[in-house]
Amino acid sequence: MKWAKAWQLSDIILIALIGIFFGAIFMGTNYVYDVLTAALAPVGLSGLANELLLGLWCMPGMLAGYMLRLKGSATLGELLAATVEMFFGGQWGISTLISGVTQGFGAELGYIVTRYKHYDWLGLTASALTTTIVTFGWDLARNGYFKLQLWLLILYFVVRFCSMFLFGGVLTRLITDMLDRSHVLKSTHTN
Amino acid sequence: MNPSIKLLLLFIIALEISFSLIISLNIALVILAIGYLLLHHTKCRTIGWLLIVPLLPAIGLWSTQYINGTGNKTLMAWVLFTRIYAFVFTGATFTLTTNILQLADSLEQNWHLPSKFAYGVLAAYNLVPKIQHEVKIIRAAGLMRGQQLSFWSPKLYFKAILVSINWSQNLAQAMTSHGFVEDAPRTHYRHCPLRWQDWAIFIVGLGLIQLGLFVIPWS
Repeated sequence: MKWAKAWQLSDIILIALIGIFFGAIFMGTNYVYDVLTAALAPVGLSGLANELLLGLWCMPGMLAGYMLRLKGSATLGELLAATVEMFFGGQWGISTLISGVTQGFGAELGYIVTRYKHYDWLGLTASALTTTIVTFGWDLARNGYFKLQLWLLILYFVVRFCSMFLFGGVLTRLITDMLDRSHVLKSTHTN
Repeated sequence: MNPSIKLLLLFIIALEISFSLIISLNIALVILAIGYLLLHHTKCRTIGWLLIVPLLPAIGLWSTQYINGTGNKTLMAWVLFTRIYAFVFTGATFTLTTNILQLADSLEQNWHLPSKFAYGVLAAYNLVPKIQHEVKIIRAAGLMRGQQLSFWSPKLYFKAILVSINWSQNLAQAMTSHGFVEDAPRTHYRHCPLRWQDWAIFIVGLGLIQLGLFVIPWS
């Protein structure tokens, strides 16, 4: 449990609190998802609702990885958010947890391939891309995407990446820039 | 049943049905799960609610396959429709009968999860109602200045993170001042035993799902 040593109690509470806060904010987006799904279902494109909003749901992991800069923070951030969501808003049950693991690991992978050194646009873009690829691979099986027509698959992939980049990349950067300017992270994290 | 063993079993079932194309198996899982929930005195209203909530996404998945799928479209559409319900109901057998405290105890005592993770997450989890309230406060404070803070506003998340940093330090300090020491050995007031019955149910459950997946010739 070497990786666990780097984590302090306040880091763990912080990352869990952020996950819950974001979850509470996302609850307000449920109506967007419902309206989009209902509107797109008759033409068989309801997956677009999921693709458009997925970046938002993957944001806790990407933000945690970018903000805390500890090994495993992206995975843990997303996993904790998913665990809490499972108990608390949890109509999706265990699949929430599996999604949490794939989304968190996807985000982590971006920081792994950039060797935990690029906390800039490169790292964020890599993370958005790996999250897209990993979660898409999982949806090929779980949501039966592998049976869809090719044009639709490509459309879904592109929309998903845009969503990941917008919410996980651009929004994360805007938020962390505000945190940098306010110097609040200096007191908790030195690196 | 031991919470972490139950979670592991359901996790494996969810993983396996994600790759299966058997409609009857999904329905069988839903019926089994409803039986289990009724045995644990779950209200019929709750079960009815579980039937309604996933309906919209299930119809969405169904229509996507039915209109834009390839191969046997009808089969795949119904597989995905029933799979969502299998996820929701097997998941409910865990979330409606186990709470996060029991899971944290079990992970810490049976699987040696470092106690700082178990108690750190519990500390945060207990703030859920306060967090929901705080989000309303942040939004109201924005409105007073004429700022509409929506889910795409960085400022909303920024303020939420500021509060999180503040609370996490306060909570960590409070726990330390009450004698919580990171990485120190602990004794336990609530015991969470891992008995042989738990393993027996796990192995039988695992065997049954393999039987349903690979042996029974569902028509």
